[in-house]
Amino acid sequence: MGLIELRPSGRPEPDPEGAVYTDWESVYQDNVVGIYQLAFRRVGNAADAEDVAEEVLIRTLNTLRFPAPVHNVRSYLVKTARSVLADHWRRHYAVQNTVAELEQAPAEGLAGPPNTVASERAQRLLALLPDQFHRVLELRFLRGYSVREVAREMGVTEANARVLQFRALRKAATLEQEVLG
Amino acid sequence: MKNSAADRVAQFVEDLLKGRRPRRFEATPDEAEAMSAAAGLAAARVGADLPDKAALDRIHGRLAQRLDDSPAVEGRYSRRVWLRTFGTAAAAAVIGVAIDEVVTRTGPGTQIVAADGVLTPDGGQWRPVASVEQLPAGQAMTFSTETLDAVVVNDGGKISAVSGICTHLGCKLQPDIAEQRLSCPCHQTAFAFSGKVLFYRLKAAPADLPRIQSRVRDGQIELFV
Repeated sequence: MGLIELRPSGRPEPDPEGAVYTDWESVYQDNVVGIYQLAFRRVGNAADAEDVAEEVLIRTLNTLRFPAPVHNVRSYLVKTARSVLADHWRRHYAVQNTVAELEQAPAEGLAGPPNTVASERAQRLLALLPDQFHRVLELRFLRGYSVREVAREMGVTEANARVLQFRALRKAATLEQEVLG
Repeated sequence: MKNSAADRVAQFVEDLLKGRRPRRFEATPDEAEAMSAAAGLAAARVGADLPDKAALDRIHGRLAQRLDDSPAVEGRYSRRVWLRTFGTAAAAAVIGVAIDEVVTRTGPGTQIVAADGVLTPDGGQWRPVASVEQLPAGQAMTFSTETLDAVVVNDGGKISAVSGICTHLGCKLQPDIAEQRLSCPCHQTAFAFSGKVLFYRLKAAPADLPRIQSRVRDGQIELFV
């Protein structure tokens, strides 16, 4: 499933034992960027990531009573994010199996060292792909080539470039599950 | 007519890479698998997953509207100092190539930052990291070795390099091309391409970024790393 794990990022403050949030604004300020990034990695675009982040925050904040322990709030945010993202894939693309996988995704979410970079994982994954698959994804996603430019660069038709891209993405998804976990 | 799985996924990818919200459709499991991988790769572009301030403003505004009437947080809302600027989505334009291809890996070594703010790794040597053509004016390029993370920038034709690690708590900096700065995703701190602190919301000012020695030889940008 998703290429990038639920990685911690954008978390502005540490999570000291016993710390509490006393109002929704502090929950928002502390977590909005991390939630947005988590959403972006699952939807791949800013408009949907914004909607998902907002929905995650509203669902979480509507159920909280303050003061609320920081650790509990963050765990709940990640759990809610999984549920909202599963809904997103179900409603937008009628996807069921992705939903099941999302709901079983790791729960660390917002709670680790903040400097893991999604691009490192992507680079590791690309390196595992066969040459042609690696090439098409690198050109398209990391170098910003259009399908036409990819086709020209690789000496194939545009239709073949689209098929190659599709197969490469499927292989990447499979490898991510099998090798990177 | 676009009706094959490859075409539908290609349209999805095209939307992601153009920064558009993809159209809804009923995806097969194979398509969904590919689309999910595509979403992850789209997010892996440097800076792509950082929200811009306008998005944060919208989220905050809608939360305030909905939560002000909520009994769960009744009376709790106080308008705080507004979040300052984060990296923008335009940072996705940053060149994020696979530098592992061009930087020879070095063994672990000590990093020395001299009084003049230059980081010089023990056992460092000049290594090519990119051609000058790959780094047009106003662009930045991130790279990593086993010993350090760095950002090479072309600041109005002048090529230089600084550490890519925030001097506060060690988060990896995100180049923000639109604002011509390096933004820390953790604590709302930003540095100029020169390494100077631009702004911060911390109790004390963080140190400027250490600089890394750079030069251009035969059209290749080389760093002492």
